[in-house]
Amino acid sequence: MNERNESIHGVACTFRSPSDVFHAAEKVRDAGWKNWDVHTPFPIHGMDQAMGLPRSKVPRLTLLGGVTGFITGCLLTWFMNSYDYPLVVGGKPFWSPIFPFPVMYECTILFAAFGTFFGQFILNRLPQHHHPLFDLPQFARTSDDTFMIVLEARDKNFHLDESRNFLLSLGGQEITVIRE
Amino acid sequence: MSTPSVKLSSRWPTFVVAGLVAIVAAWLLAVQGAGEHNYRPVLSVLLGSMFWVSVLIGMLMLTMITRIFDAGWAPVIRRSWEFMIGALPIVLLLSIVPLAFIPSFRHLLWEWTDATHLLPSGHEVGHDPILQAKSWFLNPTFFLIRITLYVVFFGVITWVLRRFSFQQDKERDANLTHRLHAVSAVGIPASAVMLTMLAFDCLMALSYHWFSTMYGVWFFALSIRLALATTVILTYRLSNGGWLDGILNQAHRHVLGCLMLAFTVFWAYISFSQYFLIYTANIPEETFWYNIREFNPITGLKSDWWGVSMYLIFGFFFLPFLSLLFYRSKIIAGRLLTIAGIIFVGGIFDLWFNAVPRQINEASAPEGFVVSPFLSGYLALDLLAIFGFGALVIGLFLRSSTKAETIPVHDPRILESINYHE
Repeated sequence: MNERNESIHGVACTFRSPSDVFHAAEKVRDAGWKNWDVHTPFPIHGMDQAMGLPRSKVPRLTLLGGVTGFITGCLLTWFMNSYDYPLVVGGKPFWSPIFPFPVMYECTILFAAFGTFFGQFILNRLPQHHHPLFDLPQFARTSDDTFMIVLEARDKNFHLDESRNFLLSLGGQEITVIRE
Repeated sequence: MSTPSVKLSSRWPTFVVAGLVAIVAAWLLAVQGAGEHNYRPVLSVLLGSMFWVSVLIGMLMLTMITRIFDAGWAPVIRRSWEFMIGALPIVLLLSIVPLAFIPSFRHLLWEWTDATHLLPSGHEVGHDPILQAKSWFLNPTFFLIRITLYVVFFGVITWVLRRFSFQQDKERDANLTHRLHAVSAVGIPASAVMLTMLAFDCLMALSYHWFSTMYGVWFFALSIRLALATTVILTYRLSNGGWLDGILNQAHRHVLGCLMLAFTVFWAYISFSQYFLIYTANIPEETFWYNIREFNPITGLKSDWWGVSMYLIFGFFFLPFLSLLFYRSKIIAGRLLTIAGIIFVGGIFDLWFNAVPRQINEASAPEGFVVSPFLSGYLALDLLAIFGFGALVIGLFLRSSTKAETIPVHDPRILESINYHE
C-alpha cells in the first residue's frame, strides 16, 4: 500500500541545530533511505559519513577524459607530423614519443579538465532551472539559520504519513509536504 | 608517554652504533680505493650520505613550508621531522666535508679540482677551455668555502627550527609560532639557494662539462619525494607501537598520499623537461651526459644504464603515479606503505643514475673512454653506506625524541592536527 502520488515531490522537515540534523541524518541513513538530502547554511564536518554518501564519481570521468586526451594528442601529432605531411624538424624522427610530448601532455590536461567540468554537470543534473524546493518559504532560511532534511517521494521507503511521523520522531520542528 | 614508545626511543644507541660501524667500514674501503686511484668506493660514501642529505633536506623544506602555510594537519607529523633534521649537519660533517677537504678524495671525485688530471683527449684538466670559462665558480678555494657554508647554514637553520619548537613545549607561548613563521619565510628561499648549490657541487660537478639549470629543482623534487616516502614508512612504524599510536589517522595518510602524488608528477615533469630541452637543443656539451647513460661507447649498443633509465620511467614514475591516483591507495595504511617503499627504492636508483656513470680513460676504446658500468660489486658498498648513514639518522632521531615532547603539546594547532578530518 504505497501511497505514491505523482504531484508530491517529498516531505521537508526543519531542525534547530547542527547536532539535531546530524543525528537525524544518521537515523535516516540507517533506515535505508537513498533519495533524500540535507540542507544546511554551512558545511558540517562528517556529514558525508552521517548521510552514508559514497565518494564522488567525478574522478573516474577525469581519468577517462585524461586517457582520451593522451590518445588524442598521440594521434594528432602522429597524423600531422608523420602521416599527412611528414616534415623533418631538427633532424628528429617524424614521430617519437619525446618531441611531441608537450602536446600529448597538454591534451591530457585539457581533456581531463573537460571530463571533470562536464562530468560534474552531468552527475549533478545541471543545468536545472527550477526545483520544487524553491517554492518552499522555509527553504530560503536554510541559507541563514535553519537546517532541513528532505525525503523524496521517489524513494522506495516513502509513505506520506509514515515518513512524516518518522521525521517528527527524529526531533523535527516543522513538516511541509512539497508539491511538484 | 606510553611504554612502547619509551622502549622505542631508548633503543637509539643501538642504531647509532650500527650506523657508525657501517660508516667506518664504508670509509675504510674508500681509503683503500683512494690508495689504488679508484674513485668508485669513494663515490659510495658520497652516494650513501647524499641519499640521506636528500631525505633530510626534503624534511627541512616540509617543516618550513607547513609552518608558513599554517597547515592544520601538520603539527603531529612535523615534530618527527624536527627530530630527524637535527642529523643533517652531522651527516654532512661525516661525509661531504672530509670528501671535499682531503685532497686525495677530492681529486678522485671532482676531477676538475686536480689540474693535472688527464682527459680522454690526452689534455690536462687545467688546460681545458670549458673549465677555464667556469673557473670563477669551479675553483677549489670557492668550492671549499661553499661546502663550509652548507654545513654552517643547515646547522643553524635546523638548530633554530628545533630550538623554538621545543621551547614551546615548556613556555606555552604562541608567539614562538609567529617567530617560526618569520624563520621559515627567510629560511625557504635561503634553503632553496643552498640546496641548489649543494646539488650543483656534490652531484652535477661530478661531470663538470655538463650543465643543467634545472638540476637544483630536480634535487628539490627528489628530496621532497624521498622525505614523504620516509615519513610514511616512519609514521607507519610510529603508529604501530610508537608515539603516534592512536594519533595518526586516515586523514593524515590521505594528505601524505596526496603530497606524494603531487611530487611524483613534479619530479617527472622536471626530469622529463631536462631531458627534453637537451634532446631538442642537441648541443654536444649537454647530450654526452645522456649518451653515456644510454650507449656503450665501444659496441654502440644500449648499456645497462639504459635499463636503469627505463626503470626510472616505469618503476619510479608510472607505477607510483598510477597507484596513487586511487583514493584507497592513499588511505589504506598497507598500500600507502608499499607505494612509499617503491619511491624510497626508486630514489636510490635515481641517485645511481645521476652520480655513477662517468667517462673513464681507455686508450684502446674508439672514443678514448669507457663508461663505468651499473652492475658491479660496488652497488653493495653503496647500499652499505646508505644503511650506515640511515641507521645513524634514525638513531639520532630516536635520541632527539627523548629530549622533547614527541608531539608538540602546546602548538596552537595541536587539537586541529589530532582531530584532522578529510
